[in-house]
Order: sequence, then C-alpha cells, then structure tokens
Amino acid sequence: MRTAIVAGVVVAFIALVLTLGAGDALGPNAFVVIGVSQGCVYGLVALGLVLVYKGSRVFNFAQGEFGTFAAYFVFLMLEQWKLGIPYIVAALLAVLAVILLGLAMERVVVRPLLNAPRINLLVATIAFALFSISMQLILFHPEPHVLDPLVSKLPGVPATGLEIFGFTVEPQRLLIVALLAVLAGVLGYFFSRTDLGLAILGTSQDAFATRVVGIGVERMSRFIWAAAAGLGAIAGILFVPLTGALTPGVMTTGVLIPAFTAAVIGGMTSLPGAFVGGIIIGLIQSLSNWAAGHYHIGGDLIQAKIPGTPDIMLVAILLIVLMIRPQGLLGSEA
Amino acid sequence: MSTAEATATLEPVESTRFTPSAQGWIARLVVHVLIFGGALLITAMVPGYWAFRISLAAIYAIIGLSLNVVLGYVGQVSLGHHGFVGIAAFISAWYVTTKAGCSLEQGCSLSSFFVATALAVLSGGVAAGLLGLVALRIRGLYLALITLSYGFMAETAIFQIPALTRGGAGMPAPAPDGFTSDNRYAFLTLAFLALVIYIDWRLIRSKVGRAILSIKHSEPVAASYGINVTAYKTMAFVLSGMFAGLAGALLAFRVENVVSNDFDFSLALLWVLMVVVGGLGNRVGVVVGSAFFALFPFILSSFGTLKNFFDKHAIEPELVGLALGAALALFTIISYQGGIGEQLSPLTRWLGGKPFTRHPEEHAAPKGHQRKKLLSRMGLDKSGETPTEESAAVETPSEPVEEDA
Repeated sequence: MRTAIVAGVVVAFIALVLTLGAGDALGPNAFVVIGVSQGCVYGLVALGLVLVYKGSRVFNFAQGEFGTFAAYFVFLMLEQWKLGIPYIVAALLAVLAVILLGLAMERVVVRPLLNAPRINLLVATIAFALFSISMQLILFHPEPHVLDPLVSKLPGVPATGLEIFGFTVEPQRLLIVALLAVLAGVLGYFFSRTDLGLAILGTSQDAFATRVVGIGVERMSRFIWAAAAGLGAIAGILFVPLTGALTPGVMTTGVLIPAFTAAVIGGMTSLPGAFVGGIIIGLIQSLSNWAAGHYHIGGDLIQAKIPGTPDIMLVAILLIVLMIRPQGLLGSEA
Repeated sequence: MSTAEATATLEPVESTRFTPSAQGWIARLVVHVLIFGGALLITAMVPGYWAFRISLAAIYAIIGLSLNVVLGYVGQVSLGHHGFVGIAAFISAWYVTTKAGCSLEQGCSLSSFFVATALAVLSGGVAAGLLGLVALRIRGLYLALITLSYGFMAETAIFQIPALTRGGAGMPAPAPDGFTSDNRYAFLTLAFLALVIYIDWRLIRSKVGRAILSIKHSEPVAASYGINVTAYKTMAFVLSGMFAGLAGALLAFRVENVVSNDFDFSLALLWVLMVVVGGLGNRVGVVVGSAFFALFPFILSSFGTLKNFFDKHAIEPELVGLALGAALALFTIISYQGGIGEQLSPLTRWLGGKPFTRHPEEHAAPKGHQRKKLLSRMGLDKSGETPTEESAAVETPSEPVEEDA
C-alpha cells in the first residue's frame, strides 16, 4: 500500500514536470528522462546493497566492485582474448565468475566475522573494495577501455535509441529499466512468500534462534552474498558501456554512493524501496544539475558558480532522510 | 592442571605494585634513547628523498591518530577524512599564497606558516564539527555512509572552487623559511607528531577521555551515567578533524603545490585500513602502522629485483602497497584483531616501567587499572573482573610467568 502511494507520488511528480516543461527547449524535460534512466542503475546496485543488508545487517562497500570486475571480465573475453563468443555468453560467464568471487569473499571475509561486531565486517568490506580496486589497477592498468553495450538493438526501437523529450535513450537503458522492475518484483516475492526468503530474513534478525529451528546460517549467508554478487555483476555489465569508459573502480566512484543513498531513502531493507529510491535520487541529481546549469537571472542564462551540485544534494538528502525518517520511505523491520 | 593450582597462580596482586630495579630503569632508558635517538639520527642522516618519505610517514601517523579518535575511541567509521585533510591543505595554501604573499621563488616566513597551520587546524575542526553536529545524532553505522558521501562532495564541490584551488593547476604552498630542505621539514613534521601524540595521550586520560571511551563500550549505559553521548561524540569528531587539519597543512607544505587529485577517496579508505592494521585505540600501534603504510611502497621499490619486476610490467609500487595493505587489513580484522599495537604491547609496557609480558592482568596493577576497575564495576569491561575458578582454569598458562628486571 505504502509502496503504491510512494510510486504514485513519484510518477505524478514526473508527469507534472514533463507537462510544465513542455515546449521549453531548455526546460527540465530531458533532465527528467536522464534522471529516471540513471536512477534505474542506482536502483539496480541498491538492490544488491539491500539484499546484503537484509541478510547480514552490514553496508557492503564492495558491492560496486562486483560490477567493475564483471565488466572487466566481459572486456577481457571479448576484446583482449578475442574468444569469438557471443556477447550474451561472455556476459553470463562474467556473472558466473563474479558469483564465484562473491562466494570466495563470503568464505574468506564474511564467514569468520559472522559473530563479530558489525563494524568489523563493515571495515572488512571496505578493505575488500580497496583490494579489488588496487588489483584492477595492477592487472588492467588505469587507462580507460571501451566496452560495447550488450544490446544495441531492441525490437521496435531504433538502433540509435528512443528520443524522449530531447534525450536519446539507448536501447540498453530501456533494458535496464525493464530488468530492474522485474528483479525488484521477483526479489520482493522471494522474500515475502518463499521459505528460503523467510529463512534468510530470520538469520538476519536472530542467528542463534534460526539455528535452533534448523536453518543453516552459513548456507543463508552464502546464498545472500552469491546473489548480491550476481546482481552487482549484472549492474556493472549493463551500466559500464553507457559511461563510455571502463576504468578501475568505476562502479565504486560513480554509482556506489548514489546507490547507498537510494537504499537509505527506500529504508535499507525494502527491495521496492531501493527501486523507487534509485529513481528519486536520479531525478534529484539530474534536476539539480539542470537547476545549477540553467537558472535565469535577469533573463540571461548563466552558468551557476557551484560545482558538484549533485553530490551536495546527495549529502543533504542522506542527512535529511536519516534525521527525519531513519526507516526511509518504505522501510520496515527486516 | 588442577583448578586449585590455577587459581593459586592468579592471586590478585594489587597490593604489590611492580617497580623495576635500578638496572631495569637504566635498560629502559637505553632502549628509549636507542629508539628515539635512532629515529632522529636517521632523519638527519638520510638523503633528501628518504627524508621526504619520512615526513610523509609522520603526517600519515598524525592522520592515523586523527582517525583513531573516531574509529578506535568512539567506535565509528569515518570515510571522509580526505575531505577534512584536503580542505585544510587548500585553506593553508590559499592563506600563504593570497594573504601572506608567499611564493615558490621567495619562500614563506615562519610566522605565516604557523598562522596557516592554525587556520588549517581550525578549518578541519569546523568542517568536522559541522558534519558531526548533524551526523552523530544518527544511530547505527550510518556515519560511514554520511562521511563517504561527504568526502565525495568535498572532492567534486569544495576542491573544485577555483578561488581556493586554482582548478587543476593547484595552489602553491612554499615550505617555511628554515625548513626548506627535506631533512629539516621531516624534523618539523616529527615535532608536530610528538605534539599530537602528547595531546592525544593527555586527553584520553582526562574526564573527557574517559567519557568518550565509555561511549564505545555502550551508549545507553554511558547515557544512563549522565554522559551526554552526542556532545562527547561531536567533541571527539572535532578533535579528529583538528588533527586531520594539521596533517593537511603539513601535507600542503610538504609537496609545496596542492592539487585536488592528491585527495581522492581511496586515500580515505587506506587511512581507515592503516588504523585497523595498527590496532584500534592503540596509540603506538597506530603510529607504527600508519608510518608502515606510508613507507611500504618505497621500501618495496628499493629492492632491486622487485623494482625490475615492477618496471617490466609497468606496475606502480604504490599500487602494490595499496593491494598488500588492503590484504593485510583483511587479515588483521579476521584473525589478528589487536593489530601491530598488540604485537608491540610487551615492549611498550616494558618501556613504560612494567614487566615484559603479554598478560598485564597477571602482574601488579597496571596504570589503566583504575579505569578498568571502574568499568568492570559498571559492568562494561569483562577483562577487569576477578577471574572465576572456571575461567582461570581455561585462560591461564600453566608455566609460571617470568619476572623481568
């Protein structure tokens, strides 16, 4: 119910801005489209963050690096080694490899710290992220690479992309939007209706009690981290081609913080919340960019003197949400 | 081993305080002189490029102590320290270049260096205070998220203000007169490090320090004893920001030209990890760990074969240091929680006039005993409790502990 209300408000807001800005070439229309499509990427990464938080009660600072590794694996298979396999096969292999990486991380880093204070696990994920970034720098060097998108054509969509209010939306972005909606729905169903999903929620609330009723805490932890790694890998493979440059740590520097903010807005435990939060963050960042670059004083279009407006907005949103409504828009216990 | 024997070796010996003999004091004095004199001698003798690295190690040690206040004493994670350090570096550089009229050709007077440093300390404290006032009211580990996004904001917004940072070209910050050589500047940073260590040491022994430490153990219990949790957390955060500000100014005058690319977020992560490796809340460990992280890449590349290998594969030693440092931090968190400080603890205790041992509770009451006793009476610290028979049987080693002079 709350989900429907929040989603309705967001959709109404988008519709309002689009109607108000209609006919104005410098209006916010294109920025709304950019915001929504970018927000879906944030949502995709935020899903993985929420998943780990639901299962382990910890912020996974390594979530972005699952994506960067996946993108590098695809790049290696297609461009470096020229294996001559279809893109989709390479992508699936990369997702599989990253799931193995996630399992390895779970075994080596998370499992020994299951009963330690949460702050230790948090710092451990930071260490893992930094280790990943430095390994990428060593193995792949800092120079940016170009990764082609998975889909350049969708049925019924022109190859250059769909033009919506002056902003060209690449087919890959449309795929991200669709995939995110499906994944949020499937995961939401999984956690509220299936035995395995409920068992995972149980371990996050009280590991000892879950063990008493015969649920293997280790198995659940393994499942959570593998799934989070898979989600991160999908996000990386789909998003990195859109940025144009594959550099070490790209998913951490570009996406991780907005994704965290999205997850916090959604309540850190709500999967639909991550989806909606991502879109809200995308909209706010994009519209603040528009406002900073294009506000009128005395009829002249001037460049704003404030650099980095989207990041200032992120800090502000994070603080405001955590102060006023720490459980987020859609958050609830577990 | 019978239970009776075990308890016998563990008689509380609070009445007989351990004091070293005359020879013991002399031995400790000699080791003190060897360590500190050795460090100063090395700084004076080494060629300039090594002194340049020593000053980096000293600055990293200050940053480590700054993070230790947040991470080790209060138990919160700050991932935005590159923001505080960077802001302070830019403000000190901005002051000496635009206000005090220093330039790289003419140098800079010592007085304007000190004014710039004071400004940097102030700005670091204010930046941390403003963030802390808001962020520290939020419960849980969200501070990590907030500081991370704050650091990114500093990178993309504050470090991009042209008046403060001159864009990509950087703001010059000439080293002060009398300290232009790398060796002399290294002494200056070491002096500041000594000052920071002293302040940190005295502060944590004060009423404020005890209040801050009690927060880490349990916020509700501390609050129930009348400790204003948010106020003390903010105070600790401001102190941390001031240390970071000092480090920022020293970094600025070290490289003499501050560029915003010098402060990126992976640095903040690395700083957190070096404190973890050093040992949370352990002053000596943090200093040694931070210096180790600062010097590690250089030590790596000073081995000929390793250097050839790096050159052949176009690998930067800094990156290897980063990777190994992160791996070391993982290892520390997972299986060696005490870090370097724990390993050094027998030596540091011995230097402080106590026996050379890993298990101070078995000896005469150590200095921090009053606090421990108080905490254990408050039910906060289990290590200070008189051991029961069962736990003694498990925990004590059967061999008698040797007495050191």
